[in-house]
Amino acid sequence: MDESLFKYIEFSIYGASILLILIGLYGALVKKSLIKIVIGLSIVDAGVHLIFVAMGYIRGGTAPIFSPGFENDASRMVDPIPQALVLTAIVIGFAVTAVALSLVIRLYKHHDTLRIDEIKNLKW
Amino acid sequence: MVGTPVLLVVIPLLAAFLIPLLGMIWKELVRIIPGLVLLYMFILSATLLNQVLHTGPIVEVIAGWRPPLGINLVFSPFSGFLVTLMTFIGLMVWIYSYRFKQNVDFEPAKKYFILLMMLVTGSVGIVLTGDIFNLFVFIEIVGISAYALTAFYTERNSAEAAFKYLFMGALASTFLLLAIMIIYTQLGTLNMADIASKMPEMNTTYKITALVFLLTAIGIEAEMFPLNGWAADAYTESPGPIGAAFAGIVAKAGVYAMVRIIFTMFDVDGTMQFMLYIGLITLIVAETTALRQDRLKRMLAYSSIGQMGLIMVAFGIGTAEGVFAALFLMFNHAIIKPLLFFSGSYLVYNSKDKFIHETNGMGKHIPITSILFALGAFAIVGLPPFAGFWSKLSILTAAADENMIIIIALILIVSIIELVYYLRVVNRIYFFKMAEGVEPKKPTLNALFVMVTLGVIILLVGFYPDAITGVLHKASGDLLDKTKYIQDVLLLNP
Repeated sequence: MDESLFKYIEFSIYGASILLILIGLYGALVKKSLIKIVIGLSIVDAGVHLIFVAMGYIRGGTAPIFSPGFENDASRMVDPIPQALVLTAIVIGFAVTAVALSLVIRLYKHHDTLRIDEIKNLKW
Repeated sequence: MVGTPVLLVVIPLLAAFLIPLLGMIWKELVRIIPGLVLLYMFILSATLLNQVLHTGPIVEVIAGWRPPLGINLVFSPFSGFLVTLMTFIGLMVWIYSYRFKQNVDFEPAKKYFILLMMLVTGSVGIVLTGDIFNLFVFIEIVGISAYALTAFYTERNSAEAAFKYLFMGALASTFLLLAIMIIYTQLGTLNMADIASKMPEMNTTYKITALVFLLTAIGIEAEMFPLNGWAADAYTESPGPIGAAFAGIVAKAGVYAMVRIIFTMFDVDGTMQFMLYIGLITLIVAETTALRQDRLKRMLAYSSIGQMGLIMVAFGIGTAEGVFAALFLMFNHAIIKPLLFFSGSYLVYNSKDKFIHETNGMGKHIPITSILFALGAFAIVGLPPFAGFWSKLSILTAAADENMIIIIALILIVSIIELVYYLRVVNRIYFFKMAEGVEPKKPTLNALFVMVTLGVIILLVGFYPDAITGVLHKASGDLLDKTKYIQDVLLLNP
């Protein structure tokens, strides 16, 4: 893979993750449906995870595992820490989404609507 | 030696998961185990605090990976003081809610105690950890258990409050993760002490971006304006004791994380001023909003947010006296606000909407609860001879030393507002006639015990502030000495 192609791919990954974050924020902040808000929050999460993993990649890197044939390849291994962190963050994001959806179910039972502008018992 | 700091995180987490299993053996264990765990945690942290005040901080290395590679826990005078305070409040919350839902159902009590243990685990973890990603994980543990506890009562508007909280919390965790990513890609480390020592190498643009993301994320937990929209709803809609736990445990952990980031990790000019001004805005907005509330718990919630603002102002002054005042305020707020929540929930126990006017005439029917509420109200406003007086005095002298006349004036004006709305309630309790058909609820023995204990502490600290100031001075010295923190963690002797 030549230099320019790699740069191109690298920037498209960063671009894609920033786009995901923006799409997610749009969904979470603008949309009125509770389900869409939850989906938006998950998309933001996905964007952050993607950019975080991409940051740890090095050109021509291999998996960070010392296996036969790769004993002396420590310098060519991708950074394992972002991957470990993102794995943790994915699990946390899953838990938050699950709690959010169960709250949406409760809200729907209570108010018979999913539109956030119709649920306003609590105000400043 | 009764244990090491790691037990303060591990034991409650283990207990949270064992509670349902033990509940199968004997249902009463569900209620007893959390109390034993919290009592052990309180004794352990008090012993360790006593030890670190004399010998210096304990840095605990997890799984043999020494910092900066592995995760470490730091039990310093500052974090130890907060952990002791938080476990004490946790114990009080447990005693108060021991009979929670006892006559109704087994299932809710089980969930309640599991979530309470998770909440304590996360908050203690936030304070003890020396690793920024670990901080993120603990913030999420606190978050998830707090959302669930907020939504505990199905018949109230609790799901709405919890969803608001969750929305803010989820965005906060995203920003926190982005900030961690910026710091990691720039400095290649996640250890807080290592980050602090490498911080001068970091490009200013990245540094400020990371700091803004971090403050946004943690400001939500610390109830910083304008990110505190969730707080009033969560305090109002959650079960009574949980409001006390939010004020006494979760908010304290949030402020700790914020202070650790500003004082230890970052060295950006102007963050102190930022904290000072954002604290002032939080204080003024929250207290004036509290004045307009007609529901008791909402009023207490806004008052709590205002107090957090005052704590931020005190930290923002930035001098040793300022930090001392902030710690004193944190201590007082952690003792007095739970007392107000506990006694306040009995004042409006049988009312559906918890309006302030429903406390009319309670002074004659539940005299002890009423007098304790009045005591708490006077103490939080800062009337002598109660505990709150000394903390208000110390923040005013700290501000006076720095010639911040406008800030002194604003704090005093806000104190008058505070006095007005608390006196309004106390006035109703004692000098108004009770409405027809209101059934005052006599507090249980456990609740009485907790309220009297907290009341006695308020009076003791009010008459003998020296009992606590020694610890506070050491804790504030510990927070301000950044070099020592870095050395303690990084140059750890095996």
